[in-house]
Amino acid sequence: MSKVGAMMDVGKRSLQNAQTGLQTVSHNIANKTTEGYSRQRVELSSMPPIGVGNIRIGMGAKAGAVTRANNPWLEKQIQKERTGLGFQNGRADSLARVEQIFNEQQNKGLNQYMTQFFNAFRELSNNPESLSSRTMVKEAAQQMADDFRRVNAQLVDVQDDIDGQISSLTEQVNQASKEIATLNEKILQVEAQGTHANDERDRRDLLVKNLGEKIEISWAEGKDGQVSITAGSTAILVSGSSATELIAQRNATRDRAEILYRSNEYGSTFQITEQFKGGQLGGLLEVRDKIIEDSLKSVDEMAYTLAREVNSAHIEGHDRYGKPGVLFFDMPDTAKGASGKLQVNKTVFNDVGRIAAGNKQDAPGDNTIANMISGIQYRATMEKGTATLDDFYNAGVGELGTITQRARSTQEAQKNIVDQMSTLRENISGVSLDEETTNMIEMQKMYDASAKVIKTADEMLETVLNLKR
Amino acid sequence: MRVADKNITGQSLRNIQKNRSDMSDLSNQAATQKKITRPSDDPLASSRVLAARTDERGYKQFIQNIAQAKSFLEFSEQALGELNDSLVRAKELAIAQSTDGGASEETRRITAQEVGQLFSQSVQIANRKLGDRFIFGGFQTMKQPFDTEGNYAGDDGDIKIQVHKDAYVGVNMPGSKVFLGKGIEGDGVIRTSSDTPKTVKELQEYRKEKKEIELDQQEEEKHSIQTRGLASEGTITRLSNKDPITEDKGLNVFKVLKGLEISLKTNDKVGVQESMDLIDQAISQVVLARAEMGSRVGSLNATTESLQKAVVDNKGLASQLEDADVFQLVSDINKTESALKATMETSSKMVERSLLDFLR
Repeated sequence: MSKVGAMMDVGKRSLQNAQTGLQTVSHNIANKTTEGYSRQRVELSSMPPIGVGNIRIGMGAKAGAVTRANNPWLEKQIQKERTGLGFQNGRADSLARVEQIFNEQQNKGLNQYMTQFFNAFRELSNNPESLSSRTMVKEAAQQMADDFRRVNAQLVDVQDDIDGQISSLTEQVNQASKEIATLNEKILQVEAQGTHANDERDRRDLLVKNLGEKIEISWAEGKDGQVSITAGSTAILVSGSSATELIAQRNATRDRAEILYRSNEYGSTFQITEQFKGGQLGGLLEVRDKIIEDSLKSVDEMAYTLAREVNSAHIEGHDRYGKPGVLFFDMPDTAKGASGKLQVNKTVFNDVGRIAAGNKQDAPGDNTIANMISGIQYRATMEKGTATLDDFYNAGVGELGTITQRARSTQEAQKNIVDQMSTLRENISGVSLDEETTNMIEMQKMYDASAKVIKTADEMLETVLNLKR
Repeated sequence: MRVADKNITGQSLRNIQKNRSDMSDLSNQAATQKKITRPSDDPLASSRVLAARTDERGYKQFIQNIAQAKSFLEFSEQALGELNDSLVRAKELAIAQSTDGGASEETRRITAQEVGQLFSQSVQIANRKLGDRFIFGGFQTMKQPFDTEGNYAGDDGDIKIQVHKDAYVGVNMPGSKVFLGKGIEGDGVIRTSSDTPKTVKELQEYRKEKKEIELDQQEEEKHSIQTRGLASEGTITRLSNKDPITEDKGLNVFKVLKGLEISLKTNDKVGVQESMDLIDQAISQVVLARAEMGSRVGSLNATTESLQKAVVDNKGLASQLEDADVFQLVSDINKTESALKATMETSSKMVERSLLDFLR
């Protein structure tokens, strides 16, 4: 037999359900713009009916759980693609700076200064007696050496800047892993009670994705709902509720920031820089350790070859005073670092008369050596005698341009992939105001109706109570 | 399909940003008038632009070099023209005084004075300066190459100037060759030393060669025999085309004139007659030298033309590679602008409406 009390009960539960639903709607609306948020909904299910005789009377609905609309596989995929995006971002952004160093489209660069240098020697060979053409040679040589040093310094600047980025990146990574470890603990606590830790999980998913964009990670969720995260191939960042830090430190061998890992507080540190090939860190490391190092090597090679060739011709000659030629450039000991040290020899710098234009002693009109030096421009002195200095430099600029161009287009493509996946994710997990409004109206109606049910039950009870009067 | 609010805002933002960044690229191109503003815009083209610019600058310098070389050569040629005139005058005088018909000891003595003037005039020609450089001193451009007696203080240096990537042209003619007749080869043409050293190794070979030539010349001078004695003050005047000892073809212009002067002074008719032949040889030596210089100037003119064309070509190439096509650019800008406008309009419509607007 049905009871008025039961009806009251159903109404009351329904009222509560509607309230829960409305609260969830408001939670969704409030988090409409929260990054990484998955919309939540109340899972209502009907209560088991009560059998009376041969009829079964429904007992209303109960709120099962508040769940989130989320596709974990998609999240995992997004995380992976964002690692790729991080890599391309780190690479393309710093490459753009490297490229700018060699950009001669708008301002003067090495190419122009080198031509100027050789042309100055051609002018000298036109008029080896004249002091003004000698001064021109000195000025041009000085400017060229300055530009070699500028290129070197700017390349090293980018490397230094990347070092700084690596340090702050490591800082952010450590922050994220600490927060993930805390969330791990929280989720374990919440879910042990049989409820869903929706907001904590959203936050953790977001942190893992952000982390993966910065460095290459592998991660897995255990049965207890906690994730463990390994950076690179060996550095365990998060395990359960404990987090271990990465250390970014300059090391003595090459004075560049390296990534160090210490497995426990008292353990020794391991250098794991080489493990990072992906993520923003991987992109930065590639530019710093490979692309810039290669560029530096090329520029050094050029500076060294140029100094060597010019010097070897210059010391063969005789200067304006009939003295044998001195070194024209201060000769770097090795090719390594030569571009940073290229400098016109002080003797020549202080007295342009010491520029040796001629082969014969005391022959002011002799321009043999000036011709030899200007001829270096068209001689294949680079790449084991297969390329001229200009060829080598222009090819280098072209190559860097190609790398940068490809990096930029890959970055664009990767960005599109991530954007598309994020769209997919929002399709599933994102909050839609229209939807929430509809839900709100629905719940409100349900609330109204449930109240009506209670009122009706109350009136029914009153009717019954009044029977006796 | 379910569309979340974030999708709409995200998409609108992305679309607008895409259009904006296209717009900024295009306006950058419009401002610089270049479609390549950095190497990565077109790596291949930008490295070709660099190469074209290097070439262009090199060529411009060569054109400048050639202008210098030409003025040197033309000035030398002009000087030799005057020398030629003096020699022709000397020949006329010699002819007039070679027979006893119209000449006597008296006329010869007077003529000798004029020949003496021709001699010093020739020395003056040999000491000509272009700017502050002596043009006939070889590498010794800063000191007077000939004294009043016609003794040479210069050297046999050939000043070479680069006129193209692998081409060097001698711009001078050392006095030792054109005036003294040293180192003139069998056919009488005065040549510059054939190679210009470009490496240290080549320089060392070049030096070795020079040294050998120098030693040879010293040897020759030591053993040189006076081929004619009469009234010649140590002359090498001779009758055959070649010097019997050195087999050189050249002869010393000054000594020829001096020989004539002495022959005239001493009333040596035979000497005067012999001088006529020698003057002929001297004239042909000078004419050949002038012809050589003229031909160098001619080839330099041709080189200038090809260089000027190459400069224009390189400019054209660079411009084709890097300059923006203005009409294309303007039309692209318009297209992008209208796309941006359309995106903004649709975005504003998408973003502003929601169900809430219709619930009152």
